[in-house]
Amino acid sequence: MEARIRRVYVKLACALSFAVLSTAALAQGDAVIDEIISPDLERREIREAAIDSEDFEFTVYAGGVLSVEDFGTNRMIGGSLAYHINEDFFMEAAYAESELGLSSYEKLSGSAPLLTDDERDLSMYNLSLAWNFLPGEIFILDRWALNSNLYLIGGIGNTSFADEEYFTYNVGAGIRVLVKDWLALRFDVRDHILEHEIFGEPQNTNNISAQLGLSIYF
Amino acid sequence: MTRLSKTIAPGLAVLIAGLVLSAYTRAAEQEEEPPVTESFTATQFGERTPGGLPDDVEQVVVGSEFLNLYTGPGRGYVIDHVVEYGEPLWLLKRRTDWVKVMTRSGKTGWAKIAELDQIVAPDGEPLAVSTPGIDDYREQGLRFGFTYGDFEGANSLGVSLGYRFTGNISAELRAAQTIGAYSNSQTYQVALLHQPFPQWRISPYFLLGSGINITSPNATIVATEDRQDTAMLTGIGVTTYLSRRFALRAEVANHYLLTSRENNQEIVEWKLGFDVFM
Repeated sequence: MEARIRRVYVKLACALSFAVLSTAALAQGDAVIDEIISPDLERREIREAAIDSEDFEFTVYAGGVLSVEDFGTNRMIGGSLAYHINEDFFMEAAYAESELGLSSYEKLSGSAPLLTDDERDLSMYNLSLAWNFLPGEIFILDRWALNSNLYLIGGIGNTSFADEEYFTYNVGAGIRVLVKDWLALRFDVRDHILEHEIFGEPQNTNNISAQLGLSIYF
Repeated sequence: MTRLSKTIAPGLAVLIAGLVLSAYTRAAEQEEEPPVTESFTATQFGERTPGGLPDDVEQVVVGSEFLNLYTGPGRGYVIDHVVEYGEPLWLLKRRTDWVKVMTRSGKTGWAKIAELDQIVAPDGEPLAVSTPGIDDYREQGLRFGFTYGDFEGANSLGVSLGYRFTGNISAELRAAQTIGAYSNSQTYQVALLHQPFPQWRISPYFLLGSGINITSPNATIVATEDRQDTAMLTGIGVTTYLSRRFALRAEVANHYLLTSRENNQEIVEWKLGFDVFM
C-alpha cells in the first residue's frame, strides 16, 4: 500500500516536472520562431496616389432642333450631364425646351387654334444610358488625329406640353469628337416616342431631335 | 507529452536552422538588387522634369518591367510609347479606368489603371491608383441609379442615391415621377435595404421605407385637387453585377398610402434599374 502511494507520488512529480519543462521549451521555441518570422509579416500600407478624376461631362446644346409630330420643327435649347461609368458606358440626365408650331390641321382648316401660346411651350427631361460602341479616331488632313466615339443611347423621360405630362421613351445615336482631353463636340439624333390625345384619340408619336453640343469634362 | 516534445525538438532545431539560413540568404539577395527608385534608369537623368508640367501632380516611378502608353483612354487606341522599369512618370488625371500620364521627356499618353499596379513614390513608398467597384462590396460606398417602373399601370422614372453602411445594410433616397392615364404622381422615399447574401452573383434584398406620394389627377378628366399622402414601403428585389462598377436590379414594392379618405390605398410597383458605384 505504502509502496503504491509512493509510486503515485513519484509519477505525479515526474508528470509535473515534465509539463513545466516542456511548456518552457515550447515557449522558448515560440520566441525564436517569432523572431525569425515576424519581419516577413510586416504589412505595407499602400497610399493612394493623389490624382484628379474627370468622369463627368457637361454638355450645352449649341444648336438643336426638335420636330414634334404634326406640330412642325422648332429650335431646341438645353443641356445634359453625363457620368462615364467606364470606357464603354455612360449615363446621362438631360433637359431641353422647345415649342410647338401650328399643326397642319390648324393651318389648313383656318379654324381656331387647338392650343394657346402657353400650351405650345414644351419642356422635357430624360435619363438615359449610352454605349460607346464604336470608339475610334478621326483623321483630319495630315495634322489632326482626334479621338472619337459613336454611341447608342436610350432612356426614359417626361415631356410636358399642352398642360399635360407624357411619359417618353428615347432612343438614338450620336458621335463625339474630342478636340482636347477635356473638350468635345457632340452630335446627337434622338427619337422621343410618346402618346398624346390632342386630336381626340390616343396617338403614338415619334418626335425627332437633332442637337449639336459642346461638352466639357470635369 | 514528454515523448512528443523529445521527438519534436530535433526536428524543430533543424527547421529553425533552415529558416535562419534562408532568411539570411534572402537578405543577402535583397542587398544585391537596389530598389527601383535607385535603379540605373531612375537616376539616369537626375532630377530632370518635363516642361509644361501642371502644378501639384503626383510623381511616381514605374516598378513593373514596362508600361504601355495608349493614345486614348480606351482599349482600342494605339500603343505609341512604352515606359521602362525605373522611369519616372507624372499622373495627370484619371478618366474611368485610365490615367493620363506624362513621361520624363514630356510625352503624354494614357495608361490602364490595371497596369499601374507596381508604381512607387520617389521615396520608395508603394502607391495605388484607386478604383471603386465590386471588390469593395464589404466596404462603405456610394451608388447612384436610374430606374424604370410600372406603378400600377402608370409608367415611372426614378433616380436613387444609396449608401452602403456594411456589406449587408444600405440606405437609399429615392425620387420618382409617375405618369399615368388618369393621374401623375411624384414619390419621395427613404428606404433601408438588407442584402443577406451580398457575395452571391444574384443577390436578393429586402427593403423597408417610408415617404410621400404627391398625386395630381389629370385636369381633363376630373377637376380634383392635388393630394399628398404618407406612404409606407415594403419590397423585395434582386441585384446582380454586370461589371466592376455596374449592377442591374429588379424590384417589386408595395406602397401603402395612408390617405385622408375612408380607405387606405395599396399600390404595387415593379421596377427595373441599374446602379453605378461611385
